[in-house]
Formats: sequence, structure tokens, C-alpha cells
Amino acid sequence: MAAAAALEAMAAAAALRRAAGAGPRPRGIVTHTGPPRPRGPLPRTPWTTRGPPPEVLSRRAERRPVREQVELDTVTYEARQHRVPGLARPRFPAWQRGWHDPWHSPGPRYEDMALRKERGCFVCHQRVRMLEGVRQAQWLTKTKLVQGLPPSVLSIVNDPAHQLQDQDEAVHRAIAHARLWETTEVAPRRDKYCPVLFEDLIHLCRLMTMKYPSLAKRMLARNYRIAAVWERESFLLQVRGLNGILMNSVAPIPPVASKEEILATEEHVLETFYPISPTIDLQEVNVYRELNDTGFKDGYPYPHPHTLYFLESANVRPNRFRPEQLRAKMLMFAFGNALAKARVLYGNDPKVLEQPIVVQSVGTDGQLFQFMVFQLNTTDLVSSDGVKNLVWIDSDQNLYEKAQCVPEIKKRVVMKPAGIYGVQPETFKKFLALYLHGAV
Amino acid sequence: MAAAALCRALGALVLSPPRAAAVAAARPVAIAAPAGVLAAAAGRWLSASAALCTTDPTWKCRVKYTVRPLGMRKTGGRDHTGRIRVRGIGGGHKRRYRMIDFQRLRYQEGTEKVVSVRYDPCRSADIALVAGGNRKRWIIATENMQPGDIIRNSAHIGRMAVSANEGDAYPLGALPVGTLICNLESHPGKGAQYIRAAGTCGVLLRKVNGTAIVQLPSKRQMQVLETCVATVGRVSNVDHNKRVIGKAGRNRWLGKRPHTGLWHRKGGWAGRKIRPLPPLKSYVHLPRVAAPPGQ
Repeated sequence: MAAAAALEAMAAAAALRRAAGAGPRPRGIVTHTGPPRPRGPLPRTPWTTRGPPPEVLSRRAERRPVREQVELDTVTYEARQHRVPGLARPRFPAWQRGWHDPWHSPGPRYEDMALRKERGCFVCHQRVRMLEGVRQAQWLTKTKLVQGLPPSVLSIVNDPAHQLQDQDEAVHRAIAHARLWETTEVAPRRDKYCPVLFEDLIHLCRLMTMKYPSLAKRMLARNYRIAAVWERESFLLQVRGLNGILMNSVAPIPPVASKEEILATEEHVLETFYPISPTIDLQEVNVYRELNDTGFKDGYPYPHPHTLYFLESANVRPNRFRPEQLRAKMLMFAFGNALAKARVLYGNDPKVLEQPIVVQSVGTDGQLFQFMVFQLNTTDLVSSDGVKNLVWIDSDQNLYEKAQCVPEIKKRVVMKPAGIYGVQPETFKKFLALYLHGAV
Repeated sequence: MAAAALCRALGALVLSPPRAAAVAAARPVAIAAPAGVLAAAAGRWLSASAALCTTDPTWKCRVKYTVRPLGMRKTGGRDHTGRIRVRGIGGGHKRRYRMIDFQRLRYQEGTEKVVSVRYDPCRSADIALVAGGNRKRWIIATENMQPGDIIRNSAHIGRMAVSANEGDAYPLGALPVGTLICNLESHPGKGAQYIRAAGTCGVLLRKVNGTAIVQLPSKRQMQVLETCVATVGRVSNVDHNKRVIGKAGRNRWLGKRPHTGLWHRKGGWAGRKIRPLPPLKSYVHLPRVAAPPGQ
């Protein structure tokens, strides 16, 4: 009886399997999906690296005789409805769906698009890594570089009145929260701890609102899109798309450099790097719109861009921007935000701004911080002479040396217990100073 | 009877299907018997099918140039029919292919800057990433190439021989006799195909009315047109022949399979051979390939 019951169960299971596997199925062992692979020897590829083979070269050179085309009836196995060796494969017209499916329509060709233009535009978006780094971004944005932070920010850094109570301990706690505690696994990964560290540090900065109530009039914006177009010598350039997290404020940051310093930039000569074009690694497009947009509507109550935060939180090193490339990206997007704001305030005509626009930016990979203060002095960018813009960069500031998630044990002796090592409070002071800048 | 049925069956292959179906309906028994014969005959006479590719070779069908490394598929020494074409290949570390530009004068004359020099798993020489104008490309690195160097590409043949620096690309006619060269092309504009392995170099021996004679690393001499472009200097990774494999497994890492252990009696292949060098190889008097387009 039991054996019969087991047999029945097996039969039912087999029937179930058959039902599940019902439907048209290719016969034999399927090793790949998709259209069949080309058979026979491959064409000589890639020509881009090897060039055309000499036969093709000579064939192009000589004149080809006109040959009469003889149309032979090709016997295909179309009517047989299965493949027959020796008969040709039938060619069918492309299948038409009969209705418009937006998911499966090829869309118009690039040549037929309404926004297509003859002149190419070089686009800097969030994934552009510049080969020459900050030097290249300086040329593209017509900017003079000053190492270190500007004096107005340094005065905030050095003033103990602008600090939190128990600041060093709070920073240590924030780092430990991000690097040690914010996970159920052994150690959090970078795409986890980098945003958490940023949130914790911003939270510490917000505690200063008790002291300076104007700090309450700030707003963080994520996933907003910027668009700014400008012309530089013979290139049409564009900063476009998503970028970092932007903190907006109600009141703009006062200009950092004085009038004399701005006028003194006229003597500065922009650095060039001859064999390499300044637009290398920017994406060249022919379908584009010349748009200037801050990403916010007109009546937005926090109209002025204050600070841009860039989080480089990719886990894999090749996907992460190197510090030099990150600084170049920060400069390009700080410039783009400032330029879009200037176009809203002062119109599209190129001129030297009477009230320069200041945008700050901070970049981090969860350990290393880059600080930048950008001041847009002029929107007249076509020529390389005249007033330049100004940028102050404080690069490669470590917030801490090492986060030891697992204690280092050698010969059953704990050499190094888990914890955060080498915290540098100066870095957080700079972070805080950039936050307080404009409100203090 | 069998012969007649076979003829009819072969006719059914060519005839239109409704008639064939009618024949099949009319003579079901007669057709059924030689069906096996037909199948066997078709297999012997009309077989037009090739074996499926053992690996997908479509990764190399790429038209647009990129400096990003591309994933490669291993062939294991098999060709497109699935048969072993080259013995002793298989396995090894995964490699990625970087598209090397062997034609230094592909775009225009001018200078380029070396961005980086690095190892390439697909060849014995090192490769260099060079940037010039608005583009980057990989080339074969010469011996002393460093990041930050400026290299020069020129197609001009002047009356005086140039004093070339290492890494520059010139036509052979512009170079002084006795220059060490590498990355030589056999026809102008074809792209370098000679002297590309690690540490090798050729010598420009003499220039004879519009042609140049080069000594290859094998000491064989080669005659090409003087407009053929070559790179000045010696190919990088000079110590490539001094490395120690150390163990059988390292050859496996490199994708080389062991030799067969079968004993072979030593024949004429073993021992010292003294053989004259092959004669001068000339690429000049082949008119079909000597004419580059548009020049």
C-alpha cells in the first residue's frame, strides 16, 4: 500500500513538473539565449586598431568594373517550415507590432532629432573624470586657484567661539557611529558609512542653530538637476544633470575676495597643457538644448546655493573618483551652480558681476575631505584675459587615520583594539566653518 | 524499386511542398521505407551545417575605439568550427583586451603626451596610454617611455635625416641609417605588424631609391617602402626573456598547457643546424597592395 502511495505521489510530481515546463522549448541543450550566433569565420575586426587589410585598401584604390547583376531564384525552405540542408534560409521582412509600444520602439535616429545641431557641445556630467584634473577645470571655468581656505573662513575655523560643546568627543562619536556601529555585519561598507558619516556631521553642524538662528533657514536638496551653458574660446560647454547634495540658503554668502583682489586676477595667466585639448574626457554631443536652469522654480523660498556636498561612496576603487578627479568635478559643478544663479540674477549677457556669487563645495569618500570655496566674478568667459574667477581649495584632509573594526590580534595578544584612530578635529572645524560661513 | 523511390524522394526535396505532400499521401508505404536512406544520403551529399561555436566570439566585433579594457572569451585553441587549431592552449588567468592603436599616423601629425605606462596581459611588451588633442589611445611602449613624455608623430620626409627621440614615429625615409626602430609596418598606412614583441628592435640598414631595408630581430632583412612608419627605439619590457617561470603551474597561469609526455625518438630536428638566412623579403614590388587609398 505504502509503495503504491509513493508511486502515485511521484506521478503527481512528474505531472506538476510537466505542467510547469509546458510551452515551446528549444530542443537539445541550450547553452545561450538570444539570437543565434554568426557562424563561419568572423569578419576582419576591428579595423579601428588594425586598419583595413591591404586587399581592401587596394580594392578601394582601383576602379571597380560594373558587373551585371544576375538574379537567380533562391530556393528557400520557407514553405517547408523547417530547416533543410542545402536550401537557403528564408529572409522575412521585419515584424511590425502594429501599435506604438514605448518600451520597444527604436525612437528617431540621431540625424532626425529636433534638437540636433551641427556644432558639438562638450558636456560635463557627474560621471566625467577629467584627465588633467583641477588644471583642466580651471581652464574651462577661467578660474585662478588659491591654495588653502580664504581668510574669512579661516577666521571662523580659528575662533573657539564658533565651536560646539565637547566638539572633539562628538566628532569621535559620529565617526564611530558610521564606521563601527551602523551595521549588523563585521564592518560597514563604504556605500553605507559614507552617507551616514555625512548625515552625522551635518547633524552636528545643525546643533549650532541654537547659537545662530539664521542657520535654520537652510535646506538640503538631493537629486536636483543643474543646467548651465557657456562658451569658452571656440568650445561650447555645458554642465548638466544630477550632481551632489546642495544646501540652499535664504541669504547669499557675501563675497570672499575684495574688489582689489578681483581686479588683481587680470594679470593671472591660465595654464594650458598643449598636446592635450582642454575638452578631453568631456562628452561631446550633437543633440542638446542650450538651457540655463538652477533646478528650482522661481518662487523657491531658499533661492541661493550655499554648499555642494559630493559623496564618493562607491565600494570598488575603480568606480570611485580619485581625489584629483573629484576636485575637478567639484569645481565644475560649483561653477555650474554659480553660473546658473548668475544667469537668473543678471541675465544672459556676459559681464563682470558687481556682486560676485560664492558657492562652496565639500567632497568626501568617507575619510578624506576636500574643501573648496568658489567665487564667480565674471560671466564673460569667451576670452582668456580680463577678470578671472577665484577658487580656494584645501585638499586631502583626513578626518581620521584608521577605523579598526576588528581588533588586531597577534599570538593571542590584542595589539590594537577596535576603535577609531588618529582623529583630526581640525578637519571637522573646517567642515563646520564652511557650514557657518554666511550666517556668522 | 528502391532506386525509383530514392529518386522520387530526392525530387520531393526540390518540388513544391503541396505536391510532395500529395505524393506522400498517395504512396505512404513506398516513401516510408527509403526515408532512412534519404536521411543518410542528405547527410553525405548536402551537409551544409557547421558546428556551433564553442565560445561566443562576438566580443571582438567592435567598430568604435575605446580605451576601456574589454572582456575577452577564451578559445582554448579552437577555431570557429570547434576543432583544435592551436595545440597547448587553455585555462589561465582571466585577461582583458585593450585596443592597441598600431597606426601612429591614424589621425594627424603632431605631438602626444604619455599618460601612463602599464602591463598588458595580451602581449609581452608594455603598453602606454597617450593623449593628444581630444582623444586617448593605447600604443606599444618603447624602452624608456615615462608618464609625462611628449612623443611626436610625423609623416614628413625631408632632405635631411631627422634626429629623432625615442618613442617618436617617423617614416623610414626620414630616419638616419642605423637607427634602432620598432613597430614597423609592411605597407604604408597598414599599421605596425613587425617588431612588436618585448625588447626587440630592428635596424635601418640602408635606403635605396624610395625603399628602405630593415634588419628584423631574426636577422632577416626586409625591404619596404620608405613611407612606411616606424617608431624609434626598442620595445619596452626588455627583461622579458630573463624572467624565471619557476614551476609548471606558472605556465598554466599564462594559459599554456603541458606538452605531451609521450616519448619520441630524437630525429633530425634535434642537434645543431647551420642554415643560411632566408633571402631578403621585399614588400615593394607587390603593386596591388602598394597603393594606399587617396594618395
